[in-house]
Amino acid sequence: MTAEQYLAARLRQALAEDPRTTELGVRVTVRGDHVLLSGDVASPERRAELEAVIHDVAPELTVLDDVKVVPSEAPVGREEIR
Amino acid sequence: MIRIAAVGDVHLGEDARGRLRPALEQLGERADVLLLAGDLTRHGTVSEARVVADEFGGLDVPVVAVLGNHDHHDDKPDEVTAVLRDAGLTVLEGQTTTISVDGHTLGVAGVKGFGGGFAGKCGSVFGEPEMKAFIRHTTEIADSLRGALGSLDTDVKVALTHYAPIPDTLRGEPPEIYPFLGSYLLGEAIDDNAPHLAVHGHAHFGVEQGMTPGGVRVRNVAQPIIRSAYTVYCVEPAVVEV
Repeated sequence: MTAEQYLAARLRQALAEDPRTTELGVRVTVRGDHVLLSGDVASPERRAELEAVIHDVAPELTVLDDVKVVPSEAPVGREEIR
Repeated sequence: MIRIAAVGDVHLGEDARGRLRPALEQLGERADVLLLAGDLTRHGTVSEARVVADEFGGLDVPVVAVLGNHDHHDDKPDEVTAVLRDAGLTVLEGQTTTISVDGHTLGVAGVKGFGGGFAGKCGSVFGEPEMKAFIRHTTEIADSLRGALGSLDTDVKVALTHYAPIPDTLRGEPPEIYPFLGSYLLGEAIDDNAPHLAVHGHAHFGVEQGMTPGGVRVRNVAQPIIRSAYTVYCVEPAVVEV
């Protein structure tokens, strides 16, 4: 468990600091041989880059990728501020 | 009624060029102004700033932005700001801008903001130089926001920041990192001036809605929160009693 926590911390730091990703908004959870990624990124290319950085740091882990590309359509409603 | 569109944390780069633009064409049919709550780029490079300039330049409403921490990463905030201003965007850091809408005036005061934490759970200007510099940066920015908001004499006033002024809109983020997500000093500066609305970004896992202790509506418009190209808030200018 302790090792998993340090590994998750290293992976989070890599995703934040590696110029390919610089993602602070992706959750990283290590469970045994698997790493679960969740959150939102701005383009499909960035999802692939997340997996590449994870693989460089911990090639033994299988990535479970639950990251979404954030929707960029016009909003449906609006809010009245009173 | 003044219609305020807002989004933050779009994190544009060459790979995301043009993703928002289709939703932004004819924005004027839905909104009177667009606020950008920082983290417009991924690494704060000039080339990424050009993507932002192309994405938000030449819209049919005024665009008012603050920078975020990502926009500082390449240590070129002045160059990034210049690229955005050349494209017609208004970039605020301690300044204000006023926009006329149907005979009413909207004033926006903007700063990047910074961390430090929230009342009772925050850092102070004490100890090592690094710690003092950290909190002093927040204090200076909060004072700058207070001054800018106080200088506005408009029908509707809005505070625009990247970092959060209250913890309410951070729910969903780990509480341990709140001191890196915002500062109560920003909230205090906002409450001292009671604007109609405070808009921020930065917290991708937070929630959209919150309120300052003084009752100012706060909205976290980070794109992963609002899950659209922008969102729109409608504010009714105060009716003057005669």
